[in-house]
Amino acid sequence: MVLVLAIGDLHIPHRSPDLPAKFKSMLVPGKIQHIICTGNLCSKEVHDYLKTICPDLHVARGEYDEDTRYPEMKTLTIGQFKLGLCHGHQVIPWGDLDSLAMLQRQLDVDILVTGHTHQFTAYKHEGGVVINPGSATGAYSSITYDVNPSFVLMDIDGLRVVVYVYELIDGEVKVDKIDFKKTTAPHSPH
Amino acid sequence: MSVEIKLSRSNRMFRPDELLEGKIITKLTSSISHYGIRLTVNGSVNLQVRGGSAGVIESVVGVLKPITIGKKSVEIRPSGKISSGITEIPFSLTLKQPGESKSEKFYETFHGADISIQYLLTVDVVRGYLHKSLSATLEFIIESEKAELHELPVSPELVLFYITQDTQKHPLLSELKSGGFRVSGRIPTQCSLSCALRGELTVEASALPIQSIDIHLLRVESILVGDRIVSETSLVQTTQIADGDVCRGLTLPIYVLLPRLLTCATVLAGSFSIEFKVSVVISFQSELSKLQPKSDPRTPRLWLAMETLPLELVRTR
Amino acid sequence: MQKLEDLTPEEMAVTNHRDSTKPNTMIVKFRARDYTAEAKAHFLPRIPTDLHPFSSTSSLSTKVDGVDEEENGPLDPLRAPSGRIVVPSKDNKGSLDAFKSDISDSNSVELLRREWTTFKRFLVQKFPPSRTVAISSIADLVIGSQKAYEKSSSVHLDELDDSQGSVDEDVKFITEHEYTARLTEMKNEILCAWAAGNHFKSLKLSVKVARLLRDTALLQFYPTLFTLATDILDMLGDMVWERIKRKVEYLEDGAKIRELREDFQVSDICSDAKDICHNWFCKIGSIRDLLPRIYLELAILPCWRFLVDDSADVIQRLIAMMRGLGNPLASAYCHLYLVYCVQKLPLHDNGYLVTCIRDINLMMTPIISLKETTDNRNNMSNQVLVHLMEPPMEYIIKCIFKDHQQGCTIRVGLGLARNLSELFGKCSSVSLVLHHLLKELPPEIVRSNVLHILDLIECSIGSSFDQCMNFRLLGFRLYETEAPMEMVNVVLERVIKDASQYQDLDAYLKVVDGYVDIVLQNHMKTQLEVLLGGIAERACSKWINDIELDSLQSVLTKILSHTKCLEDVLELVHLLLALHNLFAEIIDVMRGTAKNAINMRILEMATRNGYIRCPTTIQFLLEVGQSLHDGKSSSNMLDSDNQPLDRLLSRFVDMVEYGTEWERHLAFLIECRATFASADEVKETLVHHANCLVMKASKASKQLVSFGRSCLAFSEATIPSIAAPIKQLHLYLETAEVALASGLVCHSDGLIESAIRTLQSLIAEDSPTLLDVDRIVCVIQKLCGLLIMVPGNSMLGVTYIPKNLLSLVNNHSLVMPARLSVRTSCANILLLAAWSQHKLPYTPGGIKEMQVPGNDLLFFDDSSYHEELASFCGRILQNVVLAIKQETCPNARGNLALEACNCIASVIKVDDNISRICNELVEMATPCLNTNHSYFFSTSKFLVNQFRTCNNKLSLA
Repeated sequence: MVLVLAIGDLHIPHRSPDLPAKFKSMLVPGKIQHIICTGNLCSKEVHDYLKTICPDLHVARGEYDEDTRYPEMKTLTIGQFKLGLCHGHQVIPWGDLDSLAMLQRQLDVDILVTGHTHQFTAYKHEGGVVINPGSATGAYSSITYDVNPSFVLMDIDGLRVVVYVYELIDGEVKVDKIDFKKTTAPHSPH
Repeated sequence: MSVEIKLSRSNRMFRPDELLEGKIITKLTSSISHYGIRLTVNGSVNLQVRGGSAGVIESVVGVLKPITIGKKSVEIRPSGKISSGITEIPFSLTLKQPGESKSEKFYETFHGADISIQYLLTVDVVRGYLHKSLSATLEFIIESEKAELHELPVSPELVLFYITQDTQKHPLLSELKSGGFRVSGRIPTQCSLSCALRGELTVEASALPIQSIDIHLLRVESILVGDRIVSETSLVQTTQIADGDVCRGLTLPIYVLLPRLLTCATVLAGSFSIEFKVSVVISFQSELSKLQPKSDPRTPRLWLAMETLPLELVRTR
Repeated sequence: MQKLEDLTPEEMAVTNHRDSTKPNTMIVKFRARDYTAEAKAHFLPRIPTDLHPFSSTSSLSTKVDGVDEEENGPLDPLRAPSGRIVVPSKDNKGSLDAFKSDISDSNSVELLRREWTTFKRFLVQKFPPSRTVAISSIADLVIGSQKAYEKSSSVHLDELDDSQGSVDEDVKFITEHEYTARLTEMKNEILCAWAAGNHFKSLKLSVKVARLLRDTALLQFYPTLFTLATDILDMLGDMVWERIKRKVEYLEDGAKIRELREDFQVSDICSDAKDICHNWFCKIGSIRDLLPRIYLELAILPCWRFLVDDSADVIQRLIAMMRGLGNPLASAYCHLYLVYCVQKLPLHDNGYLVTCIRDINLMMTPIISLKETTDNRNNMSNQVLVHLMEPPMEYIIKCIFKDHQQGCTIRVGLGLARNLSELFGKCSSVSLVLHHLLKELPPEIVRSNVLHILDLIECSIGSSFDQCMNFRLLGFRLYETEAPMEMVNVVLERVIKDASQYQDLDAYLKVVDGYVDIVLQNHMKTQLEVLLGGIAERACSKWINDIELDSLQSVLTKILSHTKCLEDVLELVHLLLALHNLFAEIIDVMRGTAKNAINMRILEMATRNGYIRCPTTIQFLLEVGQSLHDGKSSSNMLDSDNQPLDRLLSRFVDMVEYGTEWERHLAFLIECRATFASADEVKETLVHHANCLVMKASKASKQLVSFGRSCLAFSEATIPSIAAPIKQLHLYLETAEVALASGLVCHSDGLIESAIRTLQSLIAEDSPTLLDVDRIVCVIQKLCGLLIMVPGNSMLGVTYIPKNLLSLVNNHSLVMPARLSVRTSCANILLLAAWSQHKLPYTPGGIKEMQVPGNDLLFFDDSSYHEELASFCGRILQNVVLAIKQETCPNARGNLALEACNCIASVIKVDDNISRICNELVEMATPCLNTNHSYFFSTSKFLVNQFRTCNNKLSLA
């Protein structure tokens, strides 16, 4: 069982002073094995904070990130899964399923994690699964100011992934669960 | 078909003036007839002189004739039959008649390197010429009889000892010789077998860090061979009391439990004697000691300092 | 057929690479998309759940008992991770249960076991073992190959002793997992041997396990080893206990004759049972090595109850024997195990605990004193050693006061207070030991012995840091006990005197931190001034490091929290001003740099704890910032690094908060821009905040058009003064997004135009680095994503901006890498495709009433619009193929070809033309990439799929 935290679009301090306290109290060190971050942390402090939760931190660069060490895109393999990471402002139209599928083919990944729209989404298409953890601070995005803070925790166990969605709605953390399996069989075209 | 002896005490320990009690158990598939069931008690001192020690002439090497302490045979059952299945036959015998001569002294059981004092109880079920006798032998343990025991408590006569670079007769590491060390302590010269050997020791100073401090319990077995006495000293038990470089000036306890069977009350008989010694050995940390394979701890080495003191072991009430 | 002369100059640029022989008419049909329906079809269903990986965390992090100290002050590094982390202990299931003896029936023993399990878990958590451990030859004998076990030659009693052979210098490495696994295996072996009636073998194996504890070189792994080994020893102890008890209660034939009472006496025990028990102690007594001998005796320590009624002598002897353990680490953990085991006995005198502490204190003295020497390596390992020795020390000290905590008697505690002087007697105490002791001392003892404790602290050994931590802790404890004023006075007088010897700011601050609360509580103004003066004195001569800053901050927060009670917000400013002046007085004599340093620290402190709302404070800080900023530009600091200052000023801007007073906030931003005119980073922050302000304002209230305009105007004016063009670009785009969201299209158009102009100048630069190219591509991609919702200008033509973009990159296609051109083209194809849809994928996020209509509404059913999109797209397509050919690196060329192919096939209906282009692209990629390449494979599969769906539709139609 491997826990992977997917989080991003924090925009601290430009659009939000900090992570919601309810999230902060959950994100304790020692629980999570990997963090994948969709970028737009916007400050080094946030980077350092994430590092304290888990030293294995992977960040894709958002357009407002100063840190030149963050790559545009990143792939990593966790267990049986290959994960792709990209901020998503490069995907046209933003958050579009076909365009994300295109990126997924390019990166050759089972799970593609992107951000930018600040809306949690999880789609499955022929090529795999695309997940957008949303914005952990509820910062306004290019297309909306109505954002519920959210992040995603993936529990990867063998060929199975359970995606937990943590969403802060009206001050309460709501947790949803999405369950899917990696199918090794070839996809039937439709 | 088997026969066995079971003694009333699980530790098989008896005193000479006590009744030796127990039962004979036969397990038979069919009933048998016998000419009597006989129990034999046989106590003996077995002596052996080993060559190579203390310049003993080779001709005396070998086993000496055992000294019999007491041999006694009692018929428990006259001839008859034992039925099949399990049969228990209780017995009870006196080891030593109150009036018996002093010569038959029951020494305590002891198993040493050269001397062994052993008491065996044998049962024989005699079955005539055609059948093999059924028999079994069991060792039991003798401890001195109550009348001979010392009064408790033995006044612990503690002897003071000092170990310094000057008390050592063998060469020492130059750092030790020049830098010096001083270990002092107290240890009894007489100790009850039922108690632990208790003393204390203090490292007052040491130029080199200490590796270990060990208490060696030694036994000295002496045998009269012709007109000379052959002595052999062997190590009974080592007890470490300091592991590593201990604090200076802190009193460490010496606490050594005396091992059963391997120790007995000090015996000074005419033809043999069993005596004990205690030796305090200090090993200092040295690269040299690592190069040396493990050897007899009594061998003097450059990094060792030692002090050996006699110890009288007594049986107390 | 398109005529060349119809082309605008920009289009000329597009076409000038074109192979003129090729036909160039292309009718492109975009695939129709229904974004909402697709999203619905593909989304993964969500189920609400209460059980998730973080669900248990909250219960883990809750503090168990309300420990007041934690609330009083910030964490003290020495006491932070103390045993207070009480992990909810589950029942210790496992093999222990199988052999759970009846003694555990008694509640106290059960409680003890649970506490112990918890403590052991804490121990392992505190020192998580590294992956591999270097094992010594001793451990190797046991852990490594089993055959290594040799019997020593002559003496047959030595059966309990492994011959150790000569000491091997070789270090072997095994993984911590292997080590643990081997121990578990041994535990099973012991269990099996016992079950088979081979008790002697069980003992022999247990001795081996105990012997492992001699190997203290394991350091970090040692606590883990200790827990594993003592687990095994406890198991053996239970089994032995059970066996002897059985001897008492049952006959040989298995008939139960009696029940042994919980509080039995020696007289209740039959001689057979005593004999067996005695035998066990004898066997253990014959173990040569000291450490395993002690551990084994401790394991069966409760069995002494069968032999003696009062085991106090036994415990004293065992403690005395432990003095022979030269290794402090081994000794400390051995003491720990003793203290645990002794608690199983019905013993009421806790004097032995005092002895333990005294011995550990003695044992630590040489290590601590060594600490002061120059040998660095020794120093390091000694620190580790001391750190490792802390948990045992803590556990033992906690045990001393256990009874007291349960509220039994004060007498015990008072007795200890007497012992306190006895405890350290003639030798001085180790600061660290004293620290833990002081932490646990009951309040009334602290109060009644405060001077004595002060004596102890003053003459304790250890680093001065440890000493000041003790002074600090004493302060905390005094505060907690609500000591009377007179006492506080006396103590403070001495502490101030003692602390005055600390030249080090950090140490001094630590002490002050401990007493701030008590000083404020008692309104001791003079003392506060002395303490603050002391801080100023020490702070002025040097750069304040982070740790010191934390302490300083802690001191300040405490002062602040007290002033907060007075509801006087101005107090903060006064304090800061006072500090400022205090420093300034001394600093004026010195150079400006030190003054700047202090100013920076003030700014940093002020911006650390959340929002700044008080206008006076903001004004004050703005002045501080200004003086820093001016100092920077005027002095010779120019060449030095300005980044920290800029960052700090940005942070200040970030932290200022006016709530719903949007205008005032904007005014503040404007003032900042004027004040920090030469700080780029600050200006960037200002723009972000101005934009954020618009979004916040429009979210809160619907009629703020004019305010939005002011903010946008501010941003528009500020962005050009920022030096870095890439930053400008992103700020333009962000501002454009915000403008769109507030319905201010004219602003967004202007901003996008500015962005394109900036882009132009950026691309026109002589030699952009490769990194820049990728960033430029990113900007263009983001811009295209944004353009989707920007209404087209029918005057200039809907494709005006895309055309501009393309010509921009193509004009420089000779100097710029091919990927700039290819990716820009692809981005435009995607943009045009999105524009062609009946409903756009997204609209600007703003107030519904002010919603800027998208192209889908503006050009609804406008055939010329769609023709324009299609024909422009056709031209781009041809351009793409040519652009890819420009790429010289085969691998990159292959990838670009596949990228373009994916893009085209994904948004355009595949007809003969398109399939020809796609095939050409795939063929282009074929020699460049391995055909096993997964991208190649997935693209081919995708193409086949797309062809099929299009042909199906065609045939259906």
